[in-house]
Amino acid sequence: MSKTAVPPTVPELSRAASIVGLGETDYGDDYRAQRNQPEGYTPPTPESLTKIAFARALEDSGLKLGDIDGLAVSYLYGGPSPAEVATMLDLRLRHTMTVHGIMAGPIPQVCAAIADGKCDTMAVVYAVATRSTGRTFGGMSAHPDEDAVPPSYYYFNPWGWSSQGAHWAFCWQHYRHRFGRAEEDLGQVAVQLRKNAMATPQAVMRKPMSIEDYMASRFIVKPLRLFDMCLVNDGGICFIVTRADKARDCAQPPVSVAGWGKANVKMDKLDTLIRQQLRPQCQAAGEQALQMAGLSLGDVGHFEAYDAATMHLVNHIESHGLAEPGTALDHFAAGDFAPGGRLPVNTAGGMLSGSYMHGWNHVAEAVHQLRHEAGERQTPGLEVAMTSLAQTDQVHPIIFTRGA
Amino acid sequence: MAHRRPDRTLGPGHDEFWAWCDKQELRLPKCQACGKLAWPVTPRCQQCDASKFVWVQLSGRGSIVSWGTFVQDYYRGQMATPYDTILVELEEGVLFISNPDGFGEQDISPGMEVSVRFIDCEDSAGPFRLPVFCRSS
Ligand SMILES: [Zn+2]
Repeated sequence: MSKTAVPPTVPELSRAASIVGLGETDYGDDYRAQRNQPEGYTPPTPESLTKIAFARALEDSGLKLGDIDGLAVSYLYGGPSPAEVATMLDLRLRHTMTVHGIMAGPIPQVCAAIADGKCDTMAVVYAVATRSTGRTFGGMSAHPDEDAVPPSYYYFNPWGWSSQGAHWAFCWQHYRHRFGRAEEDLGQVAVQLRKNAMATPQAVMRKPMSIEDYMASRFIVKPLRLFDMCLVNDGGICFIVTRADKARDCAQPPVSVAGWGKANVKMDKLDTLIRQQLRPQCQAAGEQALQMAGLSLGDVGHFEAYDAATMHLVNHIESHGLAEPGTALDHFAAGDFAPGGRLPVNTAGGMLSGSYMHGWNHVAEAVHQLRHEAGERQTPGLEVAMTSLAQTDQVHPIIFTRGA
Repeated sequence: MAHRRPDRTLGPGHDEFWAWCDKQELRLPKCQACGKLAWPVTPRCQQCDASKFVWVQLSGRGSIVSWGTFVQDYYRGQMATPYDTILVELEEGVLFISNPDGFGEQDISPGMEVSVRFIDCEDSAGPFRLPVFCRSS
């Protein structure tokens, strides 16, 4: 995952391609069906999710099946090959790609392929049946990746230390002592994202959550609770991406891919994550992306960041310079990051309450917001959105703009 | 009695770390080219990419940077939950994940000084000694 190559961050690739179609599966309905197992229930597969997301994206774009001449597939936990997907969807293609990486990390590669003339209009498909396949996280299920640089958390098994959640628990413990924060302060993040999910029809978690509910949720890795951690659910997302000049004639307002950046953690992973909050990587990658887009941080009107945990989101916000270190929780409490606030963040509920689409859902929400179709959670007059993937070892932001 | 623990990562380099632990010595590989200490053990130096290391003994003293209690049973009963984990900054600058020995999360404050000791453990590869940390006197 960490080895995804990013095309050059040059102005020539900025706004070369646009997202003109978006299809998402019914995250909330599928989640409830999986839990309730009604009679005749069949669990989703990467194939079934792909079909639904693609059909919706194509319809949304107003394009015809024959207009799609490229395909990129991203199946994080396994799925059909591009050739199999092409057959399944009855596509005639000039170019196919199997793309790795979470949170639309492949979007820049798709733009580069289109700019390179390999195809004009590409369907970018992501699907996971994480929940239905019973995938577990952490513990001995965290498979050693000998090539991982720096080595990952499987190494600390003999001390019983594993899981992404443990990283964010250590981050939060360090942070709250450094800045004098209470548990309830962090709870504001979970509560706000739940409110956002409640304004999002397809979100998984739409039951109201109070700060008391948050405090009553069980610890996973103390001081982090269940409600600090992201969901696990099944789903698929498809984007239709086309050349900028073609995008102007499409049914939907085009959303241009204006800039991207990437910075890796090369060493001292725990120090970088826990004490530096990935700040050097966020600053470097954010600057690349904004420079490529010809924009500045102040132009960003909506921010979507990979929220494996509440604290993860705090790391993104502060380290990209969207709040001073130690102040993000004050801004959450003041509603500055709520829809309609100074800088709306994870407006569809992110992965904490929205949907665990490994960050592809964040990009989908950026598209909804930039099209001005997000209903009661809409950011008024939005022109520029930023998404940020930050894992424990890399940061990869993308800038999206309205229009082509 | 040896404590049951989830499996260590073993193999070239890793084995050497545990062999020193068996002698109750906390040693880490130090890059011969640039002097950076490697942890976890890696085949190449993350700072300069050189691959020659010498195993140097550390003081075993450090201070606590962060900590957390595993309440969820990630290891399917291999370790009784809840249990505490700590992140220690060793005097030599390395951040080291471990367990507290003789104290718990309620006793910890940031910067608390600790010293290494070794406890008898076993995993599916057999018995070994695990470095944990007690309060410095
Ligand atoms: Zn070196």
